[in-house]
Amino acid sequence: MAGLTMRGLHKRYGETHVLKGIDLEVDNGEYLVLVGPSGCGKSTLLRCLAGLEEISEGDLLIGERRVNDVLPGKRNVAMVFQSYALYPHLTVRQNMGFALKIAKRPTAEIDAAVDKVAEQLELVPLLDRLPGQLSGGQRQRVAMGRAIVRQPDVFLFDEPLSNLDASLRSHMRVELKRLHRRLETTIVHVTHDQVEALTLATRIMVLNLGVVQQVGPPRELFNRPANTFVAQFIGSPSMNILPAQGDEKGIVVDGVDGAIEHHARGPIELGVRPTDFEVTDDGVWSANVDVIERLGAEALLHLELGPHKISVMVNEPTPIEMGQTIRLQPRVLHAFNRDTGVRIPEPAGATS
Amino acid sequence: MSRVKSLSVALGLCLAAAGAVHAQDAAPVELKLWHAYRDSEEQALLEAARVYKEQTGVQVTPIGIAFGAYSSKVETAVPRGNGPDLLIGAHDVLSKWQRLGVVEPAGEDSTAYRAGAGAALELEGKRYGYPLAFKTLVLLYNPELIQDPPTDTDALLAAAKAHTGGGSFGLAYEATAAYYFAPWMHGFGAKISGDDVHLDSPELIAALAFARRVGMDEGIVPKSPTSELMGSLFDEGKAAFVISGPWFAAGRKRAIAAIPLPTVSQTGLPALPFLGVEGVFVAGQAKHPGEAAKFAAWLAGPEGAAIRQELGGQAVAAKDAPPLPDTLETSVIRAVLAQAETAILMPTDPQLPNVWEALEDALRKVMRGAATPEEAAKGAEQYRKVLSRPPPEAANPVPYVVIMVLVGLGALVWLCLPLRDPNVRQEIKNKKVDYLWVFPAAVAMLALVVVPFVAGAAVSLFAHSQGEWTFVGFSNFLNIVLSRDWPVTSPLSFYYTLVVTILWTLTNVFLHVSIGMGLALVLREPWIRLRGVWRALLIVPWAVPNYITALIWKMMFHVQYGAINALLGFGGEPAQIDWFSSFSMAFSANLITNTWLGFPFMMVVTLGALQAIPRDLEEAAELDGAGAWFRFRHVTWPLLKPALLPALVIGSVWTFNMFNVIYLVSGGQPDSSTEILISEAYRWAFKRDLRYGYAAAYAVLIFGVLFVYGRAANKLAGKKVL
Ligand SMILES: Nc1ncnc2c1ncn2[C@@H]1O[C@H](COP(=O)(O)OP(=O)(O)OP(=O)(O)O)[C@@H](O)[C@H]1O
Ligand SMILES: [Mg+2]
Repeated sequence: MAGLTMRGLHKRYGETHVLKGIDLEVDNGEYLVLVGPSGCGKSTLLRCLAGLEEISEGDLLIGERRVNDVLPGKRNVAMVFQSYALYPHLTVRQNMGFALKIAKRPTAEIDAAVDKVAEQLELVPLLDRLPGQLSGGQRQRVAMGRAIVRQPDVFLFDEPLSNLDASLRSHMRVELKRLHRRLETTIVHVTHDQVEALTLATRIMVLNLGVVQQVGPPRELFNRPANTFVAQFIGSPSMNILPAQGDEKGIVVDGVDGAIEHHARGPIELGVRPTDFEVTDDGVWSANVDVIERLGAEALLHLELGPHKISVMVNEPTPIEMGQTIRLQPRVLHAFNRDTGVRIPEPAGATS
Repeated sequence: MSRVKSLSVALGLCLAAAGAVHAQDAAPVELKLWHAYRDSEEQALLEAARVYKEQTGVQVTPIGIAFGAYSSKVETAVPRGNGPDLLIGAHDVLSKWQRLGVVEPAGEDSTAYRAGAGAALELEGKRYGYPLAFKTLVLLYNPELIQDPPTDTDALLAAAKAHTGGGSFGLAYEATAAYYFAPWMHGFGAKISGDDVHLDSPELIAALAFARRVGMDEGIVPKSPTSELMGSLFDEGKAAFVISGPWFAAGRKRAIAAIPLPTVSQTGLPALPFLGVEGVFVAGQAKHPGEAAKFAAWLAGPEGAAIRQELGGQAVAAKDAPPLPDTLETSVIRAVLAQAETAILMPTDPQLPNVWEALEDALRKVMRGAATPEEAAKGAEQYRKVLSRPPPEAANPVPYVVIMVLVGLGALVWLCLPLRDPNVRQEIKNKKVDYLWVFPAAVAMLALVVVPFVAGAAVSLFAHSQGEWTFVGFSNFLNIVLSRDWPVTSPLSFYYTLVVTILWTLTNVFLHVSIGMGLALVLREPWIRLRGVWRALLIVPWAVPNYITALIWKMMFHVQYGAINALLGFGGEPAQIDWFSSFSMAFSANLITNTWLGFPFMMVVTLGALQAIPRDLEEAAELDGAGAWFRFRHVTWPLLKPALLPALVIGSVWTFNMFNVIYLVSGGQPDSSTEILISEAYRWAFKRDLRYGYAAAYAVLIFGVLFVYGRAANKLAGKKVL
């Protein structure tokens, strides 16, 4: 078991600059989730960690060892591919024991290791099947099992759950969490599903266009997003961002009546999560209900606030109807620099 | 309205066309003349036709046919009435042509011919054809190098030796061909036709020893010379003497002179070559036999002869041809005419091809040093005896026919058995239309595959000898399978050839697959630049027709002038490897050629199959710590296998029957040892006494071997053994 250190990591494919200087320490036993939009370089980073891609610049350390030039097979990392990459001509047992066979371990030892993991993952009845004879979820578990049998220093998961249906995915999320608690091995997990990120991670790293946007525990990313990108990427439904002006009287959203008290000054971007509103008659904003999405326990209101469109989450049952005008009070405000999108820090001592 | 009009127009056109055809009937006759002449001889023929038209108004149209295809074309087309009015051919095919009805007896002819010419075209007291020209070997020489040509062999060898060295050769001739050996044979008093032929006679042994001395030991003759090689050597002034015929003199780029062949110093006897007499024949079923005979007599007569002598450089048979001045230009014709007076008329003995085959076999062995003249002669005599053994006893066809009919009926009944089931009958009724769709394809399969196969298989139950077919039952098979004519270890036995064929197939397929697959794997590597260019280049050997490639490789393996020996010399003196003198070298030459031809197919198949293997499987293995070999062995190869297996089966069947490479590169040398079954079958059918039945039996056995192999391969594939 070991941690990971990335120092100024760059990856270029000819002219394409994919990773633009990644600096990060991952402690031993951490569950780091890498999120970001499609094409931002998540898989590339993971493949650099695995050694399947050469690092163009910078250092990569696993534990204390610099591994830039170490072959993938010698890094003692295990990867679960999005496609699972199970060997179609080998049985589940042979798939799971493959790495140990390469390491020339005695057969008895391999069998014992495979049996133990198969038991944990409830794969015992499937051991003699070929991958083609398994369901998607079972294949996913076999791919996990194959990684676990190796007892690697680091697990690398590339969107391991994206091929599963919604219910199986939430089940497997729990399984992964349990697995991590039991093995206490460092895990780097790539996903573009922010629910997965929030539920699994001890720390999340948000990546956009090859640049790290923010790294931190899920709560911190949720409560104090470092910029508008993270603010909108983390949390569902995503945060409302509105152009506003701040002065002594408070913040006024462009084209909307009503000032809200806040320390930010000048032109800013104001962020409010849909869940951070209160519908109340003495609310500062007045908005028109355009559409209501009823989600069961909650309803998502799509509102017209002056020239802007915002969404607001309310609890069901709610008496609000489409076409109605309601008044709103935002409870938690996030202010960002309008030019850079960077969060405007709270004055010292203040808490939100 | 308009339709009626157009109909009447069409009718009118038809009538007009019919009228035109009618009018042509009255037009002067046109005579078609088939020949295999080229260059100046063909020019002379065209000129003669033009002159004849001017004089008589009769149109003669000469049609040239490639030399190699000539006799088979004549022998198939003429008896079926698809032939010309006139044919040009040599006297030694006359008896065959007469038997097949290809030629008609000659008509009136007042021309006088030189001695022997007329008699050569006689058969059973009747004359066929009109003698045109003599073809025989003479001693050609470069008059710039040789002023005083030798008249005996000692002087010839001494003069040749004096002109050998520095890339030049004193004497060039095809030392391993029986036709060129014949003068020495006659010069030592041996003979190969007539009632009492023995190839192990002391005279023949002495002749073989002499041939070896001239062709090898003296070092004056270039190795395995082809006519192209000899031609270019002579044109470059690098060959002082050439033993060849008037055909060699045609189109030379330097002055050439000739005299008759010398006497053999050891015996005092002249070295007499074989003589061929060419004639023009009236074809069987000619459209205008009378006119054809008139033209033939004219062409053979003084006027035609003058044109052929002047333009075509022919040594004409007509006595009244214009006299030849004593100049350098006419030297070759005069030498041929002089030689023709003493040369020995090429025998038309039906056993000759067998003697020829055995003799050439012995000659090659002696030249290679694989046998002493005595051993070679003894072997040749044995070989000749087996070849000229009469065909197997005729068998009673009745039991065979009964068995065939029973087997056929049994098969039919077996095929119809499912019809007892009413469901099946109903099913067939329901799918009537479907059967209709399949019908044309089924008929085509029957006509193109089944019928030829059955006919070919039926031929194997017959023996063919001198145009006679005899039903012999399974004798051909028994002779082959029990190896009655040869010990199993002889290259002529079926088992020897089978082992060679299997070795050939295994080594080839192994190399094709490993090289093809290796290249495909390399082409996939990310560091390869210009991938598309490499891929295209590597497919080229496959895109070139294989016989062209085979001929190129054959040239590259030439012992003195081949690129391969030059390369093996590593910049210095070329290596002196004689690629066709030992089994292992000749087999390797074939193998190299066929590997060159065969790997691209496997490469293309592998490239295709690799596309279907996800890259992340190999990456997963890489992460698991597998090295390149382990990855290939346990991940790539098992996944490639299913796609490669059918290609492997096809490739091995192709190789098993790869006639072109064997025939063109090693030609079975040495001593038929590198022959494979299919080329061996070809030799039995066309080179050794036209044993069609025997060859067909070979073909059936080849089919049997491949059938068993195919079944076995399928079984093994099903069981995942392979
Ligand atoms: N071999 C390559 N050559 C050139 N560009 C590449 C190569 N592989 C990836 N890229 C580029 O690098 C960028 C990042 O790709 P990557 O696969 O890491 O994205 P990702 O974040 O994993 O996206 P997704 O969520 O869709 O999987 C993309 O713009 C892609 O086009
Ligand atoms: Mg990806």
